[in-house]
Amino acid sequence: MAEAIIEVSQLTKQFKGKTAVRKVEFKIGKGEIFGLIGQNGAGKSTLLKMIAGLISPTSGEIKLFDRPVKDNHPYFERIGVLIENPGLYPHHTAYENLELIAISYGLTNRKEHINKLLKLVGLEGSNKTKVKNYSMGMKQRLGIAAALIGSPDVLILDEPINGLDPQGISEIRNMILELNKTGMTIIISSHILEELSKVATQYAIVHQGEIIEHHSREQLLLQCEDRIEIEVDKASSAVPILEQKLHINHYKVISERMVYVYDAHLENQHIIKTLVESGITIHSIIKHKQSLEQYFLARIESEGGSRD
Amino acid sequence: MINILKMDFHRFKSNKMIYILLLIFFAFQIFGIFMLGKYEQPGESGVMLISSMNESQFIQVMMSQIPLWPLIYIAVFVVYFYMSEHNSGFYKNYISMKHARMYTVISKILIAGLFTLLTFIVMIAADMIGRSIFFNHAMIGDGGYFTKLLIGQFLLHWAFSIVILCISIISKSLIASIVVGFVLSLNVFGMIVTVLESIIDDVHLSSFLIVNTILSTRDFDNINDLVHVASVSIVFIVIFSFIAIRYKIKEDLK
Repeated sequence: MAEAIIEVSQLTKQFKGKTAVRKVEFKIGKGEIFGLIGQNGAGKSTLLKMIAGLISPTSGEIKLFDRPVKDNHPYFERIGVLIENPGLYPHHTAYENLELIAISYGLTNRKEHINKLLKLVGLEGSNKTKVKNYSMGMKQRLGIAAALIGSPDVLILDEPINGLDPQGISEIRNMILELNKTGMTIIISSHILEELSKVATQYAIVHQGEIIEHHSREQLLLQCEDRIEIEVDKASSAVPILEQKLHINHYKVISERMVYVYDAHLENQHIIKTLVESGITIHSIIKHKQSLEQYFLARIESEGGSRD
Repeated sequence: MINILKMDFHRFKSNKMIYILLLIFFAFQIFGIFMLGKYEQPGESGVMLISSMNESQFIQVMMSQIPLWPLIYIAVFVVYFYMSEHNSGFYKNYISMKHARMYTVISKILIAGLFTLLTFIVMIAADMIGRSIFFNHAMIGDGGYFTKLLIGQFLLHWAFSIVILCISIISKSLIASIVVGFVLSLNVFGMIVTVLESIIDDVHLSSFLIVNTILSTRDFDNINDLVHVASVSIVFIVIFSFIAIRYKIKEDLK
């Protein structure tokens, strides 16, 4: 992993005795797009609010830029935030909203900076329209512009594609990828894993306030890749046969008895015949195919289903 | 600190609602003077007619009557100014900056002071114009006394605005804050305390309440009255500013 820019350990938040986030631990490297996936009410927003300094943890520690966070940590200023709804005055225009934020940051060349941001998020043509008349997609894009006004190193986006149409989702996705190319670290939460999988490089599945799984992009895709799961007496005896007689190179030994073969185009009968002829006892052989969504739901179910 | 204050000031000066509030206040002040002039009855001998009072005396009389209109306008403004930021979630854009939670409260306190000052300027302007038109004079009286009266009343009104700000921050409810603002402006709390005082011996709390202090006519040439007004306002300013800042620092924001 690249240099850790955010590190949380044993992070817990309780509201009136109810635990919203429980002993969460993870590190986020510089330049990563870190995806938080979880159902509604899983604790994603609470977790992000703690990292952004909007709420304080009940216990645990957050390190930003390798320094522990205490009250009024100066590094919070290097984090841009869009959590839940964009914080915008509905009776102001996009420019007026951004101007107020720019003043709070003490920016000098405000006009140029704001116009650049409005252009980046595709709102340069809506000068006189008040925010209350904006579509959901326009508000989200303006929220991203607001989060970017202090030129942050880290951008936190909580459910940025909620309520957007396919075109809006695509625009936000492209914007995230473009921002990441500039070296910006991005934390993005969603309950739609398929969408998240198009941008994130690291994934954490949050369920009932806990992180139940943490994967890199490659690991996650591998989990969901088409494969043949073969259970034999002894995996170490089966592997040379798979390699030499079936010319399989893309496989993984899961346990002493289990091998996953990722050349899923092979026919089961062909594998069974070859292994049996070589004296290998097969207990089971299953062709496994799973979408990211199915994987996520299965993972949540295995942890005890929805809280609701 | 200065950047957050600049931001709040920018919002303050570009907000039409503030000018509308002040305009309504101005119009009602003029209307009030017109009504006083029209229905004024000659009183007992030795009792001064309102129409013949100077500005200092006129302000004292107006501020000894319930409801205290300037307090209502100040309460509406403070609740509106704070709650519009809170309800829109705009604070999320800057609140994570170093000491921003403390600075945002201090900034709101200063803006409340600015609005209170503008309310006083509008009130004096309306009084002078209204009295010139309907009482045929606009005497101010002794300049030193007038200045002390204005400073004392300004501090008391500003302290009231901080109480309302503190209530808005803690209650997070526009309706609840406005209702409390109205109730306090009508001095309901002060009346309850006064009644309780009459039941319990040796308790003299009511004269130290902010609205009661505004309502009671005082001699601003008397040092004891000056000290009383200054100490009540400063104590309220300090205590409620402290509570508001502490609460904001510890608050879990949505």
